[in-house]
Amino acid sequence: MVRKWLVALCVVLWALPMLVVAGCGSGDDGGSDGGGGGSSSKQGGPPIKIGASLPLTGEFSEPGKAAQQGYRVWESTINEGDGLLGRKVKFTFRDDASDQNTVVSDYTSLISRNKVDLLAGTFSSLLNIPASTVAERNRMLYVEPAGGAPEIFDRGYKHLFFAQQATADKQGDVWAEWVLGLPEDKRPKTAAYPTLDDPFAVPVLEGIREKFEAAGIKTVQKSTYPADTSNFDSIANAVKGKNPDVVVHGATFADGVGFVRAMKKVGFKPKMFFETSAPSFGDQYIKGVGKDATEGVFYAVSHTPEAQTPGNEEFVAKYKEMFGGTEVPEDAADAFATAQVIQAAVEAVGSVERKDQTKLADWLRDNKVDTILGPLSWDEAGRPEGEFLIGQWQDGKPEVVLPKDVATSDKIVEKYGG
Amino acid sequence: MTEFLQTIILGLLIGGVYALLAAGLTLIFGVMNVINVAHGAFLILAAFVTWTLWDATGLDPLLAVIVTTPLMFGFGWLLYNATIRPIRKAPPSSSVLLTFSLALVIEGVMGLVWGNTSHAVRTPYFDQSFDVGDLFLPKSQVYGCLLAVGVLAGLWGFLTKTWTGRAIRASAVNPQGAELVGVNVAAVAAMTFAVGVAVTGAGGSIVSVLYPFLPGSHYVWISRLLGIIVLGGMGSLPGAVVGALLLGVGETMTTTYVGPEWATAVPFVVIFVVLLLRPQGLLGARLREDVAL
Amino acid sequence: MKPASASAAETSVDAPAPASSRRRLPLGGWGLLVLAGAAFLIAFPFASDDLFWQNMIILSTLFAIGAVGLNIISGWGGYISLGQSAFVGVGAYTVGLGALKIGGDPFVWVPVAGLVAGLLALLMGLIAMRTRGHSFVILTIGFLFLLQLIAINWDELTNGTQGLSLPIPMWDIAYQYWPFYYALLAILGLALLTAWRIRRTKFGTGLIAMREDEDKAATVGVNTPVYKMLGFVASGVFLGMAGGVYAYYLAFIDPRGMFDIVISVQIILCMLLGGRGTLWGPVLGAFLIEPLNELANQQMGGGNSRLLIFGGLMALVVLFLPRGIIPTLQERLTARRTRGQAGLVGARLDGPLVIGERTAPAQTTVAPGAPLLEVTGLSKHFGGIKALDDASFTVPQGSITALIGPNGSGKTTAFNLIDGTMTASAGEVWLEGRRIDGFPPYRRAHMGLARTFQITRLFREMTVLENVVAPLRSFSWRQLNASAIRGDEAARAEELLTFVGMERFRDQQAGALSYGQQKLVELAQVLMLDPKLILLDEPAGGINPTLIARMGEMIRTLNRQGTTFLIVEHNMPFVLGLCDPVLVLARGACICEGAPDHVQKDPRVLDAYLGEDFVLEDAVEVAR
Repeated sequence: MVRKWLVALCVVLWALPMLVVAGCGSGDDGGSDGGGGGSSSKQGGPPIKIGASLPLTGEFSEPGKAAQQGYRVWESTINEGDGLLGRKVKFTFRDDASDQNTVVSDYTSLISRNKVDLLAGTFSSLLNIPASTVAERNRMLYVEPAGGAPEIFDRGYKHLFFAQQATADKQGDVWAEWVLGLPEDKRPKTAAYPTLDDPFAVPVLEGIREKFEAAGIKTVQKSTYPADTSNFDSIANAVKGKNPDVVVHGATFADGVGFVRAMKKVGFKPKMFFETSAPSFGDQYIKGVGKDATEGVFYAVSHTPEAQTPGNEEFVAKYKEMFGGTEVPEDAADAFATAQVIQAAVEAVGSVERKDQTKLADWLRDNKVDTILGPLSWDEAGRPEGEFLIGQWQDGKPEVVLPKDVATSDKIVEKYGG
Repeated sequence: MTEFLQTIILGLLIGGVYALLAAGLTLIFGVMNVINVAHGAFLILAAFVTWTLWDATGLDPLLAVIVTTPLMFGFGWLLYNATIRPIRKAPPSSSVLLTFSLALVIEGVMGLVWGNTSHAVRTPYFDQSFDVGDLFLPKSQVYGCLLAVGVLAGLWGFLTKTWTGRAIRASAVNPQGAELVGVNVAAVAAMTFAVGVAVTGAGGSIVSVLYPFLPGSHYVWISRLLGIIVLGGMGSLPGAVVGALLLGVGETMTTTYVGPEWATAVPFVVIFVVLLLRPQGLLGARLREDVAL
Repeated sequence: MKPASASAAETSVDAPAPASSRRRLPLGGWGLLVLAGAAFLIAFPFASDDLFWQNMIILSTLFAIGAVGLNIISGWGGYISLGQSAFVGVGAYTVGLGALKIGGDPFVWVPVAGLVAGLLALLMGLIAMRTRGHSFVILTIGFLFLLQLIAINWDELTNGTQGLSLPIPMWDIAYQYWPFYYALLAILGLALLTAWRIRRTKFGTGLIAMREDEDKAATVGVNTPVYKMLGFVASGVFLGMAGGVYAYYLAFIDPRGMFDIVISVQIILCMLLGGRGTLWGPVLGAFLIEPLNELANQQMGGGNSRLLIFGGLMALVVLFLPRGIIPTLQERLTARRTRGQAGLVGARLDGPLVIGERTAPAQTTVAPGAPLLEVTGLSKHFGGIKALDDASFTVPQGSITALIGPNGSGKTTAFNLIDGTMTASAGEVWLEGRRIDGFPPYRRAHMGLARTFQITRLFREMTVLENVVAPLRSFSWRQLNASAIRGDEAARAEELLTFVGMERFRDQQAGALSYGQQKLVELAQVLMLDPKLILLDEPAGGINPTLIARMGEMIRTLNRQGTTFLIVEHNMPFVLGLCDPVLVLARGACICEGAPDHVQKDPRVLDAYLGEDFVLEDAVEVAR
């Protein structure tokens, strides 16, 4: 008798959350954001559903939100125009909270419950790796805006594409070549490579270091610090102790700022300074480190609002109209470019059916797509074959200095600190 | 040689601040036999509050200590009475789990209120250093350390010179005896917890100007603090100071001579070595083992 | 009547009762529910191709495996570990590295993952031998973070934070996630089977005894170090395998995700919520928490609300539902069922002393009158305090020897040193001509040394019968797998309980008994060891005179059968009427030794303890 009650209670307790989740699950567009434009089927059919999970909270929330903005700008632009294949588009967003397990659940859910027609990638290599696995298993096209770690593309996936100009290990190439092209007396002799232990930052540095070492620039210091380092004084001090000519720093944002300030604190100024990510954050960066410290800082970036690439002007204008402000985050531009890539493939193949996803991927491999980042094309594994832009802070303003044909400034400041 | 001295100095300066933070934790353990795993979260919370004060009013974080300390005191007192008091008699695992869950809740709240991005307070003197010969002493570290020492001295005075302070120490050593001489041990426990959290509040304000932080940073801090009190002897205030200085120097030395990626390992290695070889730490008391009988 | 112990939810255990009232529980409601659940889970992928639910069940199963394993060492063993995700990580990396660097299908590496995790668990168990309580929990946290750091920094092996990518499985897309799904279900099944088996065996009851009172368990012969290590291995092996499968499922392994402490927390929460110490509680907990997790992620916006929910839930569980859902329900239902019934505990004890057909204590090689226990130069310092200072005395075989002295003279300390609960600062202890002061307590128990405590120490959550059956006279690996209560052991226990007069209380929870009743049960418990020497710590303290007299009778009866006693007592009439010789301890050393008449007149004894005007009133009349 006792047991029967227990049984009944346990069944209820066990089934309850399942029912709740199931009930909520079917209505889960409540957790997503539909974009602008009505979903009226005036134009040739129901809206095309695009699913993306993004880190809207958690560690990567800032770039995640920027990426979401980029997708939304594209969605608005399309819906105000002729649509995609004559239909409107509707993004369904999920928040993976910068967590890998969640991103897997999210994409699984988008594919199987929301039954989206197309997928768009998430932010950061760490999240894109497991997410792309879900996509690959389900044979769906997966274009990602940010996640350039080379390993992502070593897995032999056939549906994966990266919507930037190059993978992480190649991002510093243009700058490295410029350095090596300097006359003998101006070229640095020694280099230090402090870096954050991050799947994006490390390959960028490795790429540069390989080139430098091959050309005879001696590596005098190399260190990796963990993600939760907050005190950069010791690290800066260690770098100072070796007195390198050029410092190549692998960073994201907070540590980028922290390290520059620490260099000031310990009283060290290398002749040349290259830093990943952080300097591309515009206003936030200069506020963080102060104008003097930005002068001459080199960095790699995928997008510049001044570029004369197709659709860029409209993108910048639309972004400012929708979200205000004076700056356009790089991650938003990358997301917009991702959507452009998807759009190009869909328009060429003429279908968003599940069975045609592989055709979309095949088309991309064989063709070039013009985006706001410039023309993008890919190799067998989905690696882009383009060149990254190199930026430099000059007189308190971020400028593009290389490649010369898209530079926004004619000069290149050769010494850090001016 | 300069590099070596510099490393030591940096370690000591940091160690001073660590000492202040660890003092609160060890005090709570000494009196209540509770390992407050949420201590790291409290300190980050104080840092966020300080940041908000600075962001809104430009108030220097080191001065903000005046505000955050009583705030955290009240917070700690409330929290104790609401959640910790009921489990004081429960086995140690309960208190660890409970305080851990508090840490998670606080982390979640901080994330919701302030977001999960890195914050730091940027005072004007942040990038400046005192130059002493070939050495540099970053100003914020120096001010922070001085303030920390000041608060610690205040705590020491409180514990030794005031009646409440002595009541706290009595309760730590012998609760039944303390009851017998008129100490309301339950109230004292609440007071102790509140003092421990308040002290952390002061430390958190200092931390906000020294390092960037985000809600998830509390893990690193609590690991460090646990390492410190284990090394110094759980429950011993002087031990916390000694442990903090040693750990601070240990971390900077490891960063400079081994590599920054191993600096976070230092507290854990300390924990292992100490708990396995000399569980009472450097200055902790060896308890009579059958005292429960 | 079912014992209201931690095994209550475990319905497959034979009720520990004499053959007459034993019943094989039919596949009643509980069993049906389990079968239904299992059938549902097994059939689900055939019925629905919804990937979302498959994913959810896969994750829930992973946590269920973790919680079931944790329960073995935490729910039963009493060691809370915040380091369980270490096993997930280690299992994941084993499969990843094996498949990538050496080759072969990842599934083939899953058992290897279990092995590696088991070895890691062994290491954890070794560490556990030296720490308890707070220190242990802190150590497990340190263990986890250190492993994570090693995984991050040893990038030649693990590729650091860049992580390892596993190949995509090659099977037909129509099979979706089935191999992962069924692999995990199979591992869960294995884990449950093992846990079930453990609970039914001596290993399980030994773990529970350890949880209740680890030192006491050691003194009744439970080999605590081995049990601890085995408990940890059992908790880690299955989780390691599950971690390996999970890694293949994600197709990506990175140190931050795999060694995440929030996974450990979630595992603990699953166990606590469902019911620690039960078989199905952890499974229930996992299948409640993981859907909740999904809900938090999908509906309530991600990471922060998840933290709030988990943290809040754990706080609530610790504060208000510390035993978990299933045991609390059980308790409530039992309370309702037995409401209005009178408890047994108030009844008076009477009846003649019947010793029954007991086997005599193991033959000792020591002749009657010769020293059975010898203590020489025993000292124990606590910081500056010397509890024992060069104490030496002997206890003759076949005697009832008393150890008297003022408070603080070191009597209980002497007991602690003799039985191994504490280690001496100096000195030697010899039993039966063998030096035992280096032996752990359980080994001394196996040699025939038993001890009761001044404040009784029984395993409160167990029944009286389970308490009496708990002591182990020897240790062997086969014994671990032996049934928890065998028929002959139960019979013997009943006999002992009858001897002390507590047979009617056999199914009562030990914690519910009165002080005097507990004393009697503790005596029966130590008798189970067939001891050659029994140390009694204040047997006459805190009980009524009738019971005191009875206690004396029992001691005499046992002594006649050859058991030697060493008794610490303050009750002079009791001691002096019963014991010969009498040892007097003062200020940490033995100051006098001899017959009662002699001792009560010795001036040193009068000075130190008895007092100048000591007059012995009627000695307790005990039939000689």
